[in-house]
Amino acid sequence: MSPHDADNAMAADYVMGLLDGAEQAAAERRIETDQSFAQAVSAWRARLADLDLTAEETPPSPALWQRIADATKIAPIDALPSARAALRGTTLWDNIRFWRGLGIGGAFAAALFAMIMIGALATSRQLRHDMLALAQRKPIYVAVLVNDTTKEAGAIVNAFSNGRVELIPLRPIEVPAGRSLQVWTLWDRAIGPKSIAITGQSRTLQLDLESLPETVQDQLFEITLEPEGGSPIGRPTGPILFKGNAARAL
Amino acid sequence: MTGNGTITASPQAPDLRDQEREAQLAAALARCAAGDRTALRVIYDSEAPRMVGIARRILFRQDLAEEAVHDAFIRIWRGAAGFDPRRGSARGWLYAVVRNRALSIHRDEHRYEASDESAGDVDSETTLSRMPEASALRRCLEQIDRPRRDVVVLAYVHGMSHGELAGRLKVPLGTVKSWVRRSLFALQECMG
Repeated sequence: MSPHDADNAMAADYVMGLLDGAEQAAAERRIETDQSFAQAVSAWRARLADLDLTAEETPPSPALWQRIADATKIAPIDALPSARAALRGTTLWDNIRFWRGLGIGGAFAAALFAMIMIGALATSRQLRHDMLALAQRKPIYVAVLVNDTTKEAGAIVNAFSNGRVELIPLRPIEVPAGRSLQVWTLWDRAIGPKSIAITGQSRTLQLDLESLPETVQDQLFEITLEPEGGSPIGRPTGPILFKGNAARAL
Repeated sequence: MTGNGTITASPQAPDLRDQEREAQLAAALARCAAGDRTALRVIYDSEAPRMVGIARRILFRQDLAEEAVHDAFIRIWRGAAGFDPRRGSARGWLYAVVRNRALSIHRDEHRYEASDESAGDVDSETTLSRMPEASALRRCLEQIDRPRRDVVVLAYVHGMSHGELAGRLKVPLGTVKSWVRRSLFALQECMG
């Protein structure tokens, strides 16, 4: 972009912080919609970046992180906009935005992963660790476990490419004394449900599917309330609290 | 950089560390976008002190600077998916968010007052001297005569508006605007 271009001048003033309120809002809208303007803004940011590094590092007061943590606590639900709707009573199953969001998040992570790879920065062990963590963040199958009666979403099951399967509770589940929560999966009715986890409280669980076939489309996951230590007969005996089928993440 | 013996060996190391940090921040932003809150803490631990410093140069007060950083982290958490690594560095993106918040607080609540003593400490030459000697930006800024280069540093680093610059440098508003414009063009020509 030529230095004398009006767009270039606007991009420079935007990065400098010299635009007034209305101009600034207009510039922010253009960044979203106008590729070449967005590039001009990035170029100006890169040019002036060394000025940021002259700022003295000033430790924040210890309370600042807690305030940020509190203010962002509900935000994971924002990140999955329709999860909140699910908690209000509708299910996620029909909601394409939820699935699409998961897909876009995954695709973004994958694209970033690829970019970092190409960046030939793989010299550092820490970096390799980060890339691995990133690659493993995209689940292949996702199941949202919903209560049949209330239609509340109670937990999400994520199955990853490396065989790891995790269960993340979305709400606290009250476990009466002397009882346990048991997680089951069913992929073949002829074989019947298999127990994959037993826990005394609702918390994130790494599920044990080692001895089972790989997670497949429509595989059923459910959480039942069982006697402490799990069902004595190896099959669910108590009420089903939440259940859902695995669907391929986009 | 005081020890003479290390000068030839040192340029490589910080560069590599920066690349590593940059990759970690980009990965952490991707994890934030996927809802991983521990990644936000990673970014905070790495960048919050510098971000407070950046905001403080605009707002002068520690409490207001922390307010800007607080707002910035909420935006980073909610907007992490908007970071596009093809468009620029993760660090640049994070610093742009905090400058944006600080400028907004500055505009809304804290205009420079005649009585604002701390504004008197503002000095663009000190900022310039803190830049690495190898910095292309520093080299190019030094080629612009004062006070034309001062307007760039004062506006970017301390968030001064055209009007504030005119008041401080005691020149007409139109003059300030043309200095800013010409200095920025000169920078672009010089840096490419």
